[in-house]
Amino acid sequence: MNAFQRILTPENLQFMLKGAGYSVLVAVFALAGGSILGLLSAMAKMGRHKIPKLIANVYVEVIRGTPMMLQILLFYLGGPVVTKALFHYVYTPNPILVGTIAVGINSGAYTTELFRSAIQSVDKGQWEAAQTIGLSRKQTLREIILPQAFKRILPPYINEFIVLLKDSSLLASIGAVELLHSADVLGAKFYNYLVPLLFATCMYLIMTLTISYFARKLERRLAASD
Amino acid sequence: MIKAVHLCKSFGDIKAVDDVNLHITKGEVVCIIGPSGSGKSTLIRCLHGLEIPDSGELYVNGKPIDFSGDTTKDLAHIGFVFQLFNLFPHKTVLENLTLGPVKAGGVPVKQAEQTALALLERVGLADKAGAYPSQLSGGQKQRVAIARALCQSPEVILFDEPTSALDPEMIGEVLNVMKELADEGMTLAVVTHEMGFARVVADRVIFVDGGKIIEEGTPEQIFDHPQSDRLKLFLSQVIHM
Ligand SMILES: Nc1ncnc2c1ncn2[C@@H]1O[C@H](COP(=O)(O)OP(=O)(O)OP(=O)(O)O)[C@@H](O)[C@H]1O
Ligand SMILES: [Mg+2]
Repeated sequence: MNAFQRILTPENLQFMLKGAGYSVLVAVFALAGGSILGLLSAMAKMGRHKIPKLIANVYVEVIRGTPMMLQILLFYLGGPVVTKALFHYVYTPNPILVGTIAVGINSGAYTTELFRSAIQSVDKGQWEAAQTIGLSRKQTLREIILPQAFKRILPPYINEFIVLLKDSSLLASIGAVELLHSADVLGAKFYNYLVPLLFATCMYLIMTLTISYFARKLERRLAASD
Repeated sequence: MIKAVHLCKSFGDIKAVDDVNLHITKGEVVCIIGPSGSGKSTLIRCLHGLEIPDSGELYVNGKPIDFSGDTTKDLAHIGFVFQLFNLFPHKTVLENLTLGPVKAGGVPVKQAEQTALALLERVGLADKAGAYPSQLSGGQKQRVAIARALCQSPEVILFDEPTSALDPEMIGEVLNVMKELADEGMTLAVVTHEMGFARVVADRVIFVDGGKIIEEGTPEQIFDHPQSDRLKLFLSQVIHM
């Protein structure tokens, strides 16, 4: 009990809350960036043009076939090496920025499949009806297909956000100041890892359970409007 | 108005449409009948570019349609009504109707809504403008789909078995709307199993089998004096005349 009081001071709690805030930020930006990438590569995969299709396929396979930790390290440690070789320019990467980019690129590969299957699950009669009233492919996608795909995508999409929130902890290894890293810092400072790690556990659980709760509510609302 | 010349479309080994010549003139009501799998849907879908013909030509008002390019502009004034309605489930009835004119035709929203409401009135659904398709019965959905086709200011409307997915008691309301359109002089091409409708409303009936037009003529010629054995066999199997 003593350890809890000693470590979880208001000041340290604030430190960990700030870490949790960064974890959320990493997840939000990675999901947003990843969604743009995912939508583009889903379109490329379903499209008629060979080269974008190939690029999208390689992207998805490479990302899904390798560990995320490796991708983060490659971006963080490999980036400066590449710029040095190419431009004789060395920089110290910002861990949270580079980490978010790496997580976003990773997420894009997974959301590609989400978007692709959701778009393909929309009845092809919808495309046909849109064609007969004169809509272009782009208009059909925007007005007819994506809004319907969105409903189907929402549950797995929110799940992807939860996955990202947890995966953002991998950035602790490159020293980004997110939740797990904050726990690590406090652990080292007080020679007690158990208490900060338990606290981080609670924080992660509170965040993920809250999100799933609202996701389920939203899902029920959407199902009702069908 | 619409003219198909030597139209062919195969799926693998199956010749769904086999060298069909078809000319639909203004104001004409053409009914296409034939056994299941004879290629009726494929034929009518080719006329709106929903299937791309393998060979042959399609002319709309004398203008050849280039299927290698974008056909939406050239086919903009052809309406199409599907067997399964294909309404947009996330849009209201009114939005279903105005989407085409506003997004593709560049019509101002207010004006498109006025036209749409007038057309809903015409199919007897003025009170459903704000409803979603899921709140309508099958017959109402199909009447909305017809109103949506009318919003294209179509010169001709193509129907692919518009009543086949409906409960029997709803078939009449849809056929009545179609009959009214015919009476007002609208050009219609209708794939149908409703022989009673074809007999009363059609100017010309086309019998299709094996992807080919086997026989065509007035309803009297086709129903009362069939020439080919295939048509005789088909008519003998369709009991409810
Ligand atoms: N997309 C497709 N892929 C493969 N074969 C198809 C496809 N569409 C139609 N066919 C085949 O082409 C032939 C003609 O089909 P079509 O749907 O045009 O017939 P139909 O006269 O409309 O029949 P029904 O009265 O059952 O609607 C059939 O043998 C069918 O199996
Ligand atoms: Mg058919």
